Amino acid sequence: MPLTVPVKTVVLISLILLAGAVAMIFRPGEGTQVFADETTVIRVAGSTTVLPIVSRAAERFQSRHPSVKITVNTGGSGVGIHGAGTRRFDIGLASREISPKEKHRYASSDLRTTVIGRDAVACVVSSEVFHAGVQALSKQQIRDIYLGKITHWQQVGGPDRPIIVIDKEVHRGTRHVFMQYLFGKSNARAPGARLVTGSNNEEQAKIAQSNSAIGMLSVAWINDEVVGIGIRDGERVIHPTLDNVRNGRFPIVRNLNLITVGEPQGAVKQFIDYLLSEEGQQQVADSGYIPVQSPHAVSRVAGSHSK
Amino acid sequence: MNPRLWKERTTVFILYGLTGCGGLVLAVILTTVIMKGAPALSGEFLFEESRNFGLEGGIFYQMIGTLILMVGAAMVCLPVALGSVLFQTEFLHSSKLKKMFRFLIYSLNAVPTIIFGLIGYLFFGVLLEAGVSWVTGVLILAVMILPTLHVSIHEAVESIPDHYREAGLALGLSPGQQMRAVILPQSVYGIVTGTLLGLARAAGETAAIMFTATAFSGVRLPQSWNEPVTTLQTHILVLSQEAANPAALTHAWGAGLVLLTLVLFLISVTLWMRTGMEMEAER
Amino acid sequence: MNMKPMFPERGPAFWLTGLAATVSAGTIGLLFVSLVVESVPVFKAEGVSFLWGTDWFAGESYGALPMIYGSLMVTGLALVMVLPFALGSAILTSEFLSGRARLIVKAAMELLAGVPGILYGLMGIALLAVWVRDLFGLIDGNTLFTAGVLLAVMILPTVMTLAEDALRAVPGETRDTALSLGLTRIETVMQVVVPQALPGLAGAVFLGLGRAMGETIAVMLVIGGIDRIPQPWFDLFAPGQNIPSKIGREAAEALGFDVQWSALIALGLVLFLMVMTLTTAGNFLIGKAR
Repeated sequence: MPLTVPVKTVVLISLILLAGAVAMIFRPGEGTQVFADETTVIRVAGSTTVLPIVSRAAERFQSRHPSVKITVNTGGSGVGIHGAGTRRFDIGLASREISPKEKHRYASSDLRTTVIGRDAVACVVSSEVFHAGVQALSKQQIRDIYLGKITHWQQVGGPDRPIIVIDKEVHRGTRHVFMQYLFGKSNARAPGARLVTGSNNEEQAKIAQSNSAIGMLSVAWINDEVVGIGIRDGERVIHPTLDNVRNGRFPIVRNLNLITVGEPQGAVKQFIDYLLSEEGQQQVADSGYIPVQSPHAVSRVAGSHSK
Repeated sequence: MNPRLWKERTTVFILYGLTGCGGLVLAVILTTVIMKGAPALSGEFLFEESRNFGLEGGIFYQMIGTLILMVGAAMVCLPVALGSVLFQTEFLHSSKLKKMFRFLIYSLNAVPTIIFGLIGYLFFGVLLEAGVSWVTGVLILAVMILPTLHVSIHEAVESIPDHYREAGLALGLSPGQQMRAVILPQSVYGIVTGTLLGLARAAGETAAIMFTATAFSGVRLPQSWNEPVTTLQTHILVLSQEAANPAALTHAWGAGLVLLTLVLFLISVTLWMRTGMEMEAER
Repeated sequence: MNMKPMFPERGPAFWLTGLAATVSAGTIGLLFVSLVVESVPVFKAEGVSFLWGTDWFAGESYGALPMIYGSLMVTGLALVMVLPFALGSAILTSEFLSGRARLIVKAAMELLAGVPGILYGLMGIALLAVWVRDLFGLIDGNTLFTAGVLLAVMILPTVMTLAEDALRAVPGETRDTALSLGLTRIETVMQVVVPQALPGLAGAVFLGLGRAMGETIAVMLVIGGIDRIPQPWFDLFAPGQNIPSKIGREAAEALGFDVQWSALIALGLVLFLMVMTLTTAGNFLIGKAR
């Protein structure tokens, strides 16, 4: 008989715990139901390049506007545009322009673009490769590496190791811009690739973990282990520095976009305005990107990656 | 030496070796999570919200999100599983139909979780217009854990001794009264253990909710039904992709340890209750 | 549902539970029908060659073979690696351990079977991929092999527990008879018990494989993510892609839209059918063994 006691106690305790958990979770929700209508939720998702800016800005913005809640999610530029187009999100983040195909797909949604910053995409390599002598490559060399024609670092003056070519998921903004530069086609194929990654974080980690990888990455994500190499054009080498991006010498630049359905309104507009304000632009700079003073001044840079 | 004895000994030795290797691997896994996760744990980590993309702060709302999804799923699932089991045991008399039913439930149990995510989003996210939200997640997970609850409750109901039912019938109870007076009270253990296992399964699931119910940052308590939550599972998923950043990994392991503790706690309570029941039954 | 006189009483209890039963039994059917219906567009666009096309490039062409190949490959690898350990420990636990030790082992296995997949993923990406690379002198550790190892470890507790159940299901008299005929304990186990439990053992393995084939997260993080069949095809240390990982990576981008969505659902359908085959076979064998 004594055995039944603990078992029954457990049943009781579990039920109480369960009920407690339920009460804890749902009471606040029910209790604040009155205010629920006053709380505006802005759902943001997409490019992991734009994400840091928006995520930081959202934390500040919410502390000043307690009635606005901004949820931010990753996914990539394709997800951002798709989500905005299907109204799954209020703001889609894209580190590229909306492709003609996407424009067609979401024609009924009247997608609008607001530029909040500028960025450059660098060709990056594992630090071990950089220190072994590969500090710049020509456009043709990078092209051949992605095509699988060059497969060994020695072929371009590097260490005695095969090249691990890292590609990105097809819809990713960084890939569109990089492929547009290399091949003049944003959805060019890369038969030389060995790994396909998604977010900036994932690509950065894979390159850092390796000692012989090459990839494409926003300049803001370059660090000690993942080094941006220069692009050699004849005798001239252009390194992916912010200066070179600002003065227009570095060839692979892009806009960081917010995608909305129609003109932004209400809280969404407020938040976008905040991102374009001096304080918001400071956060663009703090995240490692180049601020834009006004969304209109640079909106034509969109095509610059086809230079 | 006797060749048969020798063979016997080596075989047993090999069996111990294989078991030992298997056990070792699993022990390594547990200790790794504990060793790597423990340094991250602190009051701040458990009770603050995450900041700077999960590199600073804690995992408070991630824990809340996991709890919301798993408890919600169990609450939605329990009545359906219970009703479905009772229908099967009390009203369904053809053994063919019973077999069919069992087959369907076992099949549901085998469905890869990512498929629940895909189709679940189509039904709950698009058709119910719940979008990427905790409601979508709860409903998807409820479907996913249905077989777990179903099988467990079914076992409990089936194991009620016949004379209990007969007593009920002799008293002239209607099926409804029979359920309330005899079957439910007698299968409480099965219902509780099934629910706990379901909770554990829901807490450990990532694939079904990663693109249907969650967001990465900026999430606190949902205040309406169509808001996303953030969970331990998806938090670990995002952070683990930053495997070269020690700060991200520390937080990922910390969140992993919390998740593991939660899941193992739920399962051990189930095991403990079941052992108790078996001992009771043997007396 | 259309019920004939087999239900004499139709009170509220009947209708309420009937509704619940319809929901739970209908779910799987609905799931299957949705998979079929939603995958029609891709079969219209690509024809049946969707199944053996080797090229998948979102927006251009959809061929499922690399993913099917990857799924089969990692599952097969998991099978080869899990088999000796799971069966060895099941035999030891069922035939040679005392009741108490057996209970402890079984309890531990049930706990381990519940370890969330994301933790295996974390371990895979942070540790195993690096170990595999260094141990085998590879240029990169994100390979089919890595994914196979992870899956083997993941399903070990499940397969072991089910296999142990199958062995225990062999009646004690069988063992006694064999022992009284002068067989040693190990001979009894190997020549009498295991052959008798064979259907149950096979069932256990099938169920484990079904689980391995459907696992998403752990594989997604270490398999390399490239939709390509390695050259040569048996190169285990090459990166690849399996079906769940492919769906996991592309679903958010295509949610509910276009041929790409349909292609992902069709992949889901293929996965569903493969997993169903494994688990139905597994359940059948285990049921037969009882």
